[in-house]
Amino acid sequence: MKNNNDIILKDINKSYQKGDNTVVVLDHFNLTINSGEFVALMGPSGLGKSTLLHLMGGLDQPTSGEMVIGAQRIDNLKEAQFTKWRAENIGFVFQSHHLLPVLSAQGNVELPLALTPLNKKQRQEHASYALELVGMSDRSKHYPKELSGGQEQRVAIARAIVSDPNILLCDEPTGNLDRKTANEILAILAQLNRDFGKTIVMVTHDNKAAEYATRVINLESYMLEQNKCTVGEN
Amino acid sequence: MDFFILVWRNSFRKKIRFWLTCISVMVAFFLFSMLSGVNHALTVSVSDSNQYRLITSHKISLTQSLAINTQQKVAALAGVKQVSYASWFGGYFQNEKNQLAVTAVGHENYFTLFPEYLIPKQQLAQWQKTRTGIVIGQAIADKYGWKIGDQVPLSSSIWMNKSGSFNWSFTVAAIYKSKKQSAENNKIFFQHAYFDQGRAYAQNSVSWLSTEIKAQANVDSVIQSIDRLFAHTNSPTRTTTEQVFIKEQAQQFIDMAMVINLVVIAVFFTLLLIVCNTMIQTIRERSNESAMMKALGFSSMTLIKSIYFESLLLLGLGAGIGSLTAGILITFISQRFNDFLPGISLTPSHYITVFVLVNSAAAFCSAFPALAIKRIVISETLGGKS
Ligand SMILES: Nc1ncnc2c1ncn2[C@@H]1O[C@H](COP(=O)(O)OP(=O)(O)O)[C@@H](O)[C@H]1O
Ligand SMILES: [Mg+2]
Repeated sequence: MKNNNDIILKDINKSYQKGDNTVVVLDHFNLTINSGEFVALMGPSGLGKSTLLHLMGGLDQPTSGEMVIGAQRIDNLKEAQFTKWRAENIGFVFQSHHLLPVLSAQGNVELPLALTPLNKKQRQEHASYALELVGMSDRSKHYPKELSGGQEQRVAIARAIVSDPNILLCDEPTGNLDRKTANEILAILAQLNRDFGKTIVMVTHDNKAAEYATRVINLESYMLEQNKCTVGEN
Repeated sequence: MDFFILVWRNSFRKKIRFWLTCISVMVAFFLFSMLSGVNHALTVSVSDSNQYRLITSHKISLTQSLAINTQQKVAALAGVKQVSYASWFGGYFQNEKNQLAVTAVGHENYFTLFPEYLIPKQQLAQWQKTRTGIVIGQAIADKYGWKIGDQVPLSSSIWMNKSGSFNWSFTVAAIYKSKKQSAENNKIFFQHAYFDQGRAYAQNSVSWLSTEIKAQANVDSVIQSIDRLFAHTNSPTRTTTEQVFIKEQAQQFIDMAMVINLVVIAVFFTLLLIVCNTMIQTIRERSNESAMMKALGFSSMTLIKSIYFESLLLLGLGAGIGSLTAGILITFISQRFNDFLPGISLTPSHYITVFVLVNSAAAFCSAFPALAIKRIVISETLGGKS
């Protein structure tokens, strides 16, 4: 039976206090992403794409509004609960891989499993499998500095999926990569979405991404649209 | 398990910085251990003395003598158990470089007052019967190869005998071993009667009295009654407990102990700043990684623990090597310095102190990094396109 992993954002407000100024980033924002979607979030810099992703992943909390992920309210979780929830449900891929330089590819991918009850052997198996999925089996013993940018990003993806979260949140995962490598990464994400049913939300500036995603949201026009509706209703 | 592998590898990421810091920890603990070894010698010889024994000397100075019959007068006082007396001989063997701690003592009861000198019964009896007999410490016997029955000439730098010579002849009658921890097996005692009759002047006088008081007697009131007894005589006295007396003699050493403590405090303070700075730098360099680990679901506590163990490794390694080196060195020099300053050694309690210091320093040095870890906002740290 497939879990319900719908991401529902209802009337989200998010603002930052900068000295005396309040920077409003999200204003009465609504968005629903269904289980199994691969969404490409596009739009100009400074619009709030990363902020949105951080909110969905529980790295940040909304000023107000309601967030439901997989039928669970997450906007009112305490920090410790959030941390646990995140470890079980969310995988992150950032523009920079943030791999630990002192651990091999295998070690880096095993790292999140230290938080699970899996034993040493199971952790090794899971990590090997994750590395296999991203095509890095032959590099498992290599350290980050011995890998290319694309390979590092593959390892980072393996780390994000190793504990089998249902949702992958990617913030410009191909931002630092050349065209060819970027395509390979996008293909891997698409495969994870298609073959393993991962729900993926990816922030990107890459127009090519549209070819891999199941839905493309241009955040700027989406926000304008929403505001019009709100105005229209009044 | 994996956690400690991570701690281990993280520690050695900046090898040069690690070892430079580690060496400064080593030097500090080496210094601390050496000084505490010396400090032990200073404090132990002070606190080993029996506080229920009193020393009475001339009020003005130890070089002024008391009449020998003050012994009986003090012995008659209430609260006094027994009294013996002694005079300083100022001895050396053959050459003034071979200085010896030679004391003339009342042979009737001196060693019942000082049971810490362990003398076989027969030898003690033999000595009491031998007018020229000496009781020597085991260390002296070993050093000069003297045996019971040996004729030993000793010279005094103070006392001329009736034949106008500073050379006195003695016979080894007994060998003692001290049961005190500071093992003062390097003294020589001989009969005061032989001394008093042999010397060319100052007969019927002693340098000081040693008094044992009764267990239930009040120390202060006995001290007062002794000094009051002689207050208006030609030789007014000053009586203190043996502890206070030795402390006063060792006053310059006690001050040295304070200097040592100050130096140690200064060194540790500097050390704390160095290690603290290293740990702060470390955590600052890794803020991205820490944020990533938090994003993966690791708690701040786990990260703080890891930085604590890194500090502990750094400090523990340095302190371990430093203290052990000092410990080895101290076993060597304690033999060399045994005559001059016996009791240089590192006690188990020193190592416990080192252990406690290392742990609290590690805790202190991870406090600021811990705050930094707590304050990491994952979205801010990872959101930027670093
Ligand atoms: N921690 C923060 N404090 C203050 N302002 C922030 C913070 N994070 C983001 N912002 C502001 O919010 C806006 C959206 O940022 P972001 O979500 O990173 O945009 P995008 O990812 O679309 O480029 C920007 O104006 C940015 O300056
Ligand atoms: Mg962004």
